[in-house]
Amino acid sequence: MNEFKTNSRIKVLIVDDEKSLGIGIKRLLEKEGYEVRLTFNGTDGIQLGTNQEFDLAIIDLKMPDVDGIIVLEKILGKYPNTICFIATAFASYETAIESTKKGAYGYIPKPFLPDELLYQLKKGYEKRFLLMEAEKWKKEREERLLEIAFEKTRVLTIINSITDGVLVVNKIGEVVLFNPAALKYLELDELKIGEQIIEKLHPQISSLINKLLNSDLFVIKTYSNQIELKPNHEFFIEATSSGVFHPDGSFAGVVVVLKDITNLKKLEFLKSQFVSMVSHELKAPISAVYGYLKLFNDNSIAVSHEQKKNFINRSQLRLDGLIKMVNDLLDISRMEMKSVKRIINDIDLRDVINNIFELFQADLKRKNITVEFNSFPDLPYIRADYEEMNRLFTNLISNAIKYNKHSGCIAVIINSTEVYLVVEIKDSGIGLKPEEIKKLFLEFFRAKNEFTKDISGTGLGLSIVKRIVDSYSGRIEVGSEFNKGTTFKVYLPLLYKEIQK
Amino acid sequence: MEKKKILLVDDDIDLLEQSKISFESNGYTVVTAENVDEGWQLFQNEKPDAAVIDLIMEEHDSGFILSYKIKKDNYGKNIPVYILTSATYLTGYKFGVSTEEEKEWIYCDEIINKPAVTEDLIEKIDNYYLKKEDLNK
Repeated sequence: MNEFKTNSRIKVLIVDDEKSLGIGIKRLLEKEGYEVRLTFNGTDGIQLGTNQEFDLAIIDLKMPDVDGIIVLEKILGKYPNTICFIATAFASYETAIESTKKGAYGYIPKPFLPDELLYQLKKGYEKRFLLMEAEKWKKEREERLLEIAFEKTRVLTIINSITDGVLVVNKIGEVVLFNPAALKYLELDELKIGEQIIEKLHPQISSLINKLLNSDLFVIKTYSNQIELKPNHEFFIEATSSGVFHPDGSFAGVVVVLKDITNLKKLEFLKSQFVSMVSHELKAPISAVYGYLKLFNDNSIAVSHEQKKNFINRSQLRLDGLIKMVNDLLDISRMEMKSVKRIINDIDLRDVINNIFELFQADLKRKNITVEFNSFPDLPYIRADYEEMNRLFTNLISNAIKYNKHSGCIAVIINSTEVYLVVEIKDSGIGLKPEEIKKLFLEFFRAKNEFTKDISGTGLGLSIVKRIVDSYSGRIEVGSEFNKGTTFKVYLPLLYKEIQK
Repeated sequence: MEKKKILLVDDDIDLLEQSKISFESNGYTVVTAENVDEGWQLFQNEKPDAAVIDLIMEEHDSGFILSYKIKKDNYGKNIPVYILTSATYLTGYKFGVSTEEEKEWIYCDEIINKPAVTEDLIEKIDNYYLKKEDLNK
């Protein structure tokens, strides 16, 4: 009750045609701290009482214009929680009953003593307070119910939007909940809540559920299976089942989450493919050297001194290639793991390329290859790691020498556009067949034809080139004509920004 | 007995050289090729008594292709063809010509794991011709 008083004073409406009495009550109540509105006829009483909500109303029963009962009805019609008293000098048992029936809280016979009135009003106000509290609780409860209902649909909406499949079964194997993704992963057209599901599922999924349904009820465990739904790595899912428990800890059922792991499996396959390819490439030189050693040791085979010398030379060559390959592989793995810290500087690519040609002087002379190197004036610097740029162009230029013909030529042109620095490396070498171009950047691919027989290489050089170019968000183009020559065009973005880890 | 001629096909020139020396020291005449096309040419020109072909050359199934061509040939169907592979170690796939199904798409007498021992190969070739003689008798 106090809570109400602190906020505002209790509002009372008095409707009485007996002016002196009305004024007297008003004074009395105001002295007691009430806020009072007084009117002397029923019509005004109705208007006041329905315009704003009063806590209490004292209504005279007999008024010339409108009957007090009507005023009571009108006010309660609008504000049912206004506590109304009927006051009358013509108190009778019947009128008392009638006014109570119409919703009056109390009946005050005139004349009355001030204490009597105050007591009645106090009681009335307590009643109003209870009514208001009850209404408040009711409203809060309704709001909470609404919230719970909302929460429930929200959780369902979320579950339905998950791309992973969710399936919940109770402890007797009936469907309790599922989302659309689950249908896809379970390869079912429809499911009904309440239907027996275990038999319909992929055997590897039902076994996951059964393990939990048949297990010790209080053991919290998760089971997982990878299932190939379509062969050849086309559709792979991972199903994980775990127990669902009631708040009291008792076993309620099983939830299965189904995840599409096709891409993961594809990567895994590519990786093992790469490993087997690497093993094959590493094994070849080892087998070759092993074979020569065996011939050396085999007394039943007559081998000339010249042949023996050749065996040693060939073995050395193969081992040399093996070491280079291992180095290249280590470089690739470092690039993959991004374990190399880049040192980004403004680099003049002309310096890089000049240095490379300097390094290959002897090879160029031996094959009598002429070099043409042109670059446009005002060439912008490129922001890059020197070692990587050096590696990139060393591989390209060494290829241009290795696969060139005797007395051939190499032309390098550096140009720039708004966005790119473009380096063109053109050789007059043996060129590539169209089917070879397609495979050029694949690991271990080496063009095998009548010209390449005696050229050694790891088959990783261009794959490294591609990786470096890609890591700078650049691109590389290749044009070639068999027996005529090959041209590589490297586009390196000028606005390369290292992404901070 | 006249010297038998054997066709060796392998894209690894060192292994090719080693097998060549091995077979020659056992009294064989050897012709060598480094790829399918060369091998096919040589087969037609030389009419060898046996062929030993590496499986993985320019393609992963190069050996199958060449042995198929040889076995489809009128002359070739009467000589033993062996395919050498280390593919079982690499891929886990097991090839063989032991089942009828495999014989339908793999045309060769046997698939042999690398490294192959020359003596074993020679024994297989000898057995092939001994059996043939028995059948002709």
